[in-house]
Amino acid sequence: MGRLRYTISRLLQSIPVIVGVITITFLLTDAIPGDPVQIMLGPSPSAQQAEAIRAKFGLDQPLHVRYFNYLFDVVRLDLGTSLYYGVPVTQKIAERLPVTLYLLLSSFTFALLTAVPLGIISAKRRNKPTDHISRVVALFGVSTPSFWIGLMLIIVFSFWLDIFPATNLILPWESPANVDGAANQLGVIAKSIHHLILPTITLGTLQMAAFTRIERSSMLEVLGEEYVKLARAYGVSETKIVRKHAFRNAQLPLITLVGLQLTGALGGAVLTETVFSINGMGRLIITAIQNQDFQLVMGTTLVFGLVFVIGVILTDLSYAYVDPRVSFDGSE
Amino acid sequence: MPDENKTFHSQLNRRRVLQGIGGAGIAGLAGCAGGSGDETEGTGTSSGGDSSGGDSTESESTEGGQSSGGKLRIALVKSPLEFDPLVLNDVPSSQVVDRVVEGLYTYDENTGIVPLLAEGSPTVENDGKRFTVTIKEGATFSNGDPVTAEDVKYSYEAPVAENTENASELNMIDTVEAVDERTVQFNLKYPYAPFKTTLTWYVVPKSVREEDKEAFNTGNSLVGSGPFTFEEWQEGNFARLAANPDYWGDPKPNLDEIEFVPVEEATTRVTTLKNGENDIIEEIPPKQYPTVRSIQDASIEEVPGIGYFYAAFNCNEGPTTDPKVREAIDYAFDMDQAVSSYVEPTGVRQYSPYPLSIAESWGFPLDEWKQIPHGKDVDQTKALLEEAGVPDDYTFKVIVPPDDKREQIGITISNGIKEAGWDATVQRLDWGAFLDKYVSGDESEYNIYTLGWSGTPDPDAFTYYLFGRDENTLGVTNGTFYGNNSEAGKQVSEKFIEARRTPEREERKALYEEATTTLLEDRVHLPAYNLKNSFGVKDYVEDFRSHPVSSFSITSDYNNVSVGNK
Repeated sequence: MGRLRYTISRLLQSIPVIVGVITITFLLTDAIPGDPVQIMLGPSPSAQQAEAIRAKFGLDQPLHVRYFNYLFDVVRLDLGTSLYYGVPVTQKIAERLPVTLYLLLSSFTFALLTAVPLGIISAKRRNKPTDHISRVVALFGVSTPSFWIGLMLIIVFSFWLDIFPATNLILPWESPANVDGAANQLGVIAKSIHHLILPTITLGTLQMAAFTRIERSSMLEVLGEEYVKLARAYGVSETKIVRKHAFRNAQLPLITLVGLQLTGALGGAVLTETVFSINGMGRLIITAIQNQDFQLVMGTTLVFGLVFVIGVILTDLSYAYVDPRVSFDGSE
Repeated sequence: MPDENKTFHSQLNRRRVLQGIGGAGIAGLAGCAGGSGDETEGTGTSSGGDSSGGDSTESESTEGGQSSGGKLRIALVKSPLEFDPLVLNDVPSSQVVDRVVEGLYTYDENTGIVPLLAEGSPTVENDGKRFTVTIKEGATFSNGDPVTAEDVKYSYEAPVAENTENASELNMIDTVEAVDERTVQFNLKYPYAPFKTTLTWYVVPKSVREEDKEAFNTGNSLVGSGPFTFEEWQEGNFARLAANPDYWGDPKPNLDEIEFVPVEEATTRVTTLKNGENDIIEEIPPKQYPTVRSIQDASIEEVPGIGYFYAAFNCNEGPTTDPKVREAIDYAFDMDQAVSSYVEPTGVRQYSPYPLSIAESWGFPLDEWKQIPHGKDVDQTKALLEEAGVPDDYTFKVIVPPDDKREQIGITISNGIKEAGWDATVQRLDWGAFLDKYVSGDESEYNIYTLGWSGTPDPDAFTYYLFGRDENTLGVTNGTFYGNNSEAGKQVSEKFIEARRTPEREERKALYEEATTTLLEDRVHLPAYNLKNSFGVKDYVEDFRSHPVSSFSITSDYNNVSVGNK
């Protein structure tokens, strides 16, 4: 039962983290110069109108009162009403979060599917041309901003070659009736994947590059271990060494990185969604910030924080699957 | 509309104000998304003329009937937010609703006002304080109900009664009376000369809106008398309209369906035009003009909008209260040059607060005004600043909104000041901070700012708000405080306020001319440019027109868009 206890204790530990996120975001949002009501009403609101709106959204109350009200509301899962959209923040998040998660899932899948083989090949053929190429690719990926990759992909594959669409992401759970040219759900999924390819590469390249580098170095480290040398001395084939003896042991650093990259990917999603006009959390947070939509900024940041915390917990838990030496009852 | 897609609303109707101020909404966003303007330069030339197209724009021709135009997809910069015309106050929303809801009057191809739901011109009585309008016989809403005087009365009264963001648009009205089924009488609080533009306000069916205002606003129960009806909206994804089969007016729409989709990033928008994902895109940034021109099966449709962009001085505090200093700064740079480098071809040089179409239709002395700004002469700047006694170590503060064009104008001015030997800084602020600061009159916040304005096609829209000195404008929309330190400024404001209450056109014209000449010579504003409403349009889209006031026109007296073979 160690694992369950561990999970629960980690979840409890995350509560102060979340409260911290709320507090810092709350104070920062409050400190931003400018007045959300003025942005909403334009340069010439009547005093009456502005007051009515302030009262409606509780902006007329002192900071500490608003802060505790907000905390209390969050406990009741009420994130308030968006000033800009005029609907509950939770409704906006429920609309947008699945889209971003879909994008994250596909870009992490892409990153892992490409990075693991690349990293292994690189390590096996150390300092050979294949290794050099894969290292250059990784370096390029790590050092190129994702919006640039996105724009270049659009210019090459949408503008010049016209192979992939640049906008209008179709979601796989959309009804076929709403999707032009899709006869059934499978057709929708196929279209969705077609639309998703460019955004996936855009968002996944950074991840892919980071994963490739860590996979390569950790594989190299494992391949240099005594027990691998011993296996070689026994005449075990190189492929078998990699597959049976080295692979699992080399994955721990990668798993750590996957969890941590989740936040980085959320940041990348902001840019990717803007470039490809995808209606996800990234564009939501941009709209929130630009309009100083206080409630929406708080709500989206909170969700980003939660995703990160959950990512870290999942990372910890997955250690146990890969490395049996890790246990959760503290008795190791 | 290039200038209209702002990120915020205004209490003053979007038609009046927001365009100008908010024009940078997009630019601001682009900056946020990674300065899209810069790295997207020259996305290359198109080689193939044939557009096999994306998968979402198949033309659906209908059998029989007059509708033969299929489906049109228009990429806007932003998503609409709400659809109740009495409530909405952002441009994308109005771009959609304008196809669904009509007014008593509308604009012709240019800025002239012509009857739509109304029969003939309004009768004006009581020294310009009473307007009487008759509704056309047979005008109906899409649900079949006739458009009645009661609906008109309701549409003009509800925004004020409900204190919506549009209230100030209509608050010169004292009472509205439904004289009979088809006659409406507007009684104004004071003679309001530009009232004819107010008569373009939307008319909605009272019974439908009263039944469920929420559903009316989300579009679910939106009903108007226009050529299209509201179909479906997914926020951030699309808004879809369908032809109104029972449209009362003429011509009936050619198109079966219009879909509006938001695409914020300019390069992406241009790409969707090239590969046929969208048939029309709005707002082409200057650097993308060559790219759009290079698309073989598309062209640019553009017309100057009703806007005004300018640099303005703080006449409340600091050295810029002295006309000599303002003239010195006028000498420090060449506005013609700046506009040609940073704004064209997406906009045109403007020499007065009035967009060209207004200035021409009023016969203002443009040639005279054009002579007022100086060319660049840094020695003059130096001499005048010294004469005015500006300390050598003084630093001029220029604040600009988050928009590349206006920032460039600000930088040009500050470079000129630096060349003359004084220091100058340019601060690019977010909208929230900018709107707070530019009306503070505080020397420590700004000496100079760059901003834009837009409005109805009437001189009043470009003068009262920018130079008026009453409680609605001074320090609210007028950040110059012109007149705080000069008698001339007070008189200019008085003339502009008098002009809006003068029904007689010639008298009004004289007032505008005198006051405008004074303020230009006093260099309170340095007029800069006006933007065009630009659209990239596929060649198979026929008869699409951009419009100076209402962004674009789909079905009207003078055009009727259809989609040919793709």
